[in-house]
Amino acid sequence: MQDIREAVFEVFRAVLPIILVIIIIKAALLRVPPSDLLLFLLGSGMVVLGIALFLSGVKAGLLPVGEAIGSELPARGSLMLVVAGSFFFGFLTIVAEPNLRVLADMLDAVSGPGVPSDPLIFVIAVSVGFIVTVGVLRIIFGFPLAYLFAAGYGAILLLAPFTSPELLAVAVDAGGITTGLLTIPIILALGAGVSAVLAGRSALTDGFGLIGLASIAPILGVMLLGVLYP
Amino acid sequence: MTAVTLLGGIDQVVLEVAQALVPLLIFFAVFQALYLKLPRVYVVNLAKGILVASLGMVLFLQGVNVAFLPAGREIGEAVAAFDQRWLLIPFGFILGFLATYAEPAVRVLGYQVEESSSGYIGESLILYTLSFAVAVSVSLGMARLVYGIPLLYFIMPGYLLVVILLVLTDKEFVGIAFDSGGVATGPMAVTFLLSLAVGVAAGIEGRNPVIDGFGLIALIALAPILSVLMLGILYRRTRGEDT
Repeated sequence: MQDIREAVFEVFRAVLPIILVIIIIKAALLRVPPSDLLLFLLGSGMVVLGIALFLSGVKAGLLPVGEAIGSELPARGSLMLVVAGSFFFGFLTIVAEPNLRVLADMLDAVSGPGVPSDPLIFVIAVSVGFIVTVGVLRIIFGFPLAYLFAAGYGAILLLAPFTSPELLAVAVDAGGITTGLLTIPIILALGAGVSAVLAGRSALTDGFGLIGLASIAPILGVMLLGVLYP
Repeated sequence: MTAVTLLGGIDQVVLEVAQALVPLLIFFAVFQALYLKLPRVYVVNLAKGILVASLGMVLFLQGVNVAFLPAGREIGEAVAAFDQRWLLIPFGFILGFLATYAEPAVRVLGYQVEESSSGYIGESLILYTLSFAVAVSVSLGMARLVYGIPLLYFIMPGYLLVVILLVLTDKEFVGIAFDSGGVATGPMAVTFLLSLAVGVAAGIEGRNPVIDGFGLIALIALAPILSVLMLGILYRRTRGEDT
């Protein structure tokens, strides 16, 4: 209980500045009625309590789960398990991500409701699964992360001139959208877990990067979709 | 009255959180049964943690939906109606900074970085670097809306710079840098800042609120990558001088 109270206090300090600024703008600039201010205050209270519970839950539940799975993958010495495990891990986190609906709506706005969003979500999920697998294999075999990112962003730069400006905007946004609040701690912990059990791997150099890789896949996926279905 | 508005649509939020969580739980359950075989007490504690995290997520997302999302839109529309539209640029800077400062996913990354580096790279260093980076990118995004600059002019040089900085930076920072991009685009940014941009676009004549609002998330994802890569260059230089 003490922990939760401390967490609420800490989060309160983090969120207070933006709450204050918005209230000042609402009251002084927009001159909204008091009932509107009250609603905002109550909503902010939910946000503070919600973040506090989320962060304590992440440390007690989600991070350990991700780390347990991550450290188990390479420990069995089976390459098959690593590949299949990482792929399904990446695939599932994306298929389940609620933010993907936002992305589908954005695509509809650009191209009209013509492009079906189900295959798109499937394509993105498969590419994220693939790239998470590459990321985990990279940690195991010690391939430099910088090469992967250079290749990924190089490919985006090459494809960009062939993509319409609207689709380009959606594509580059897609990268940020797919990594949601729930997937971030789990994927972070997966990387930390994999690098923790391998000898000679630094948690700092090798443990990070999976979220970054997972954000490149949707960008390339949406761009390729645009090249294939102009 | 207020209670109805406050909790309106919460069933949808519960459904979304459950939808995100269940596949991962099944994955963990399969792993637990086949390989992990963790002790029962430990698993029960993990389950409690996950339950608390999901409850927190529901409260947080609902609060953002009823409080921050409409606020972003209102503020964006109101400020776009000003005569001096350049004011949107400093405005975007302040709101971008504060929204990232409040973003829970950024704190998770900061915590994980501090743990992994044994305190060598502090949580608050990551927090302030990312907040500042997002502040810059939101003000750039506002400038783009006000002056109608194509997104390509920001994205192409930005990504090119990413590739260049990759070569120069300390390799310990590469992973953190790219993860930061995904982390900064958390729910606070995506809902509050995006609705701010959509509000601004709706308030400026000749801008399509849907189409012109796009691209902001990409800018928010790009700036932290660049700034953490630069942080890596600074760390490399100071360390070079020490030894």
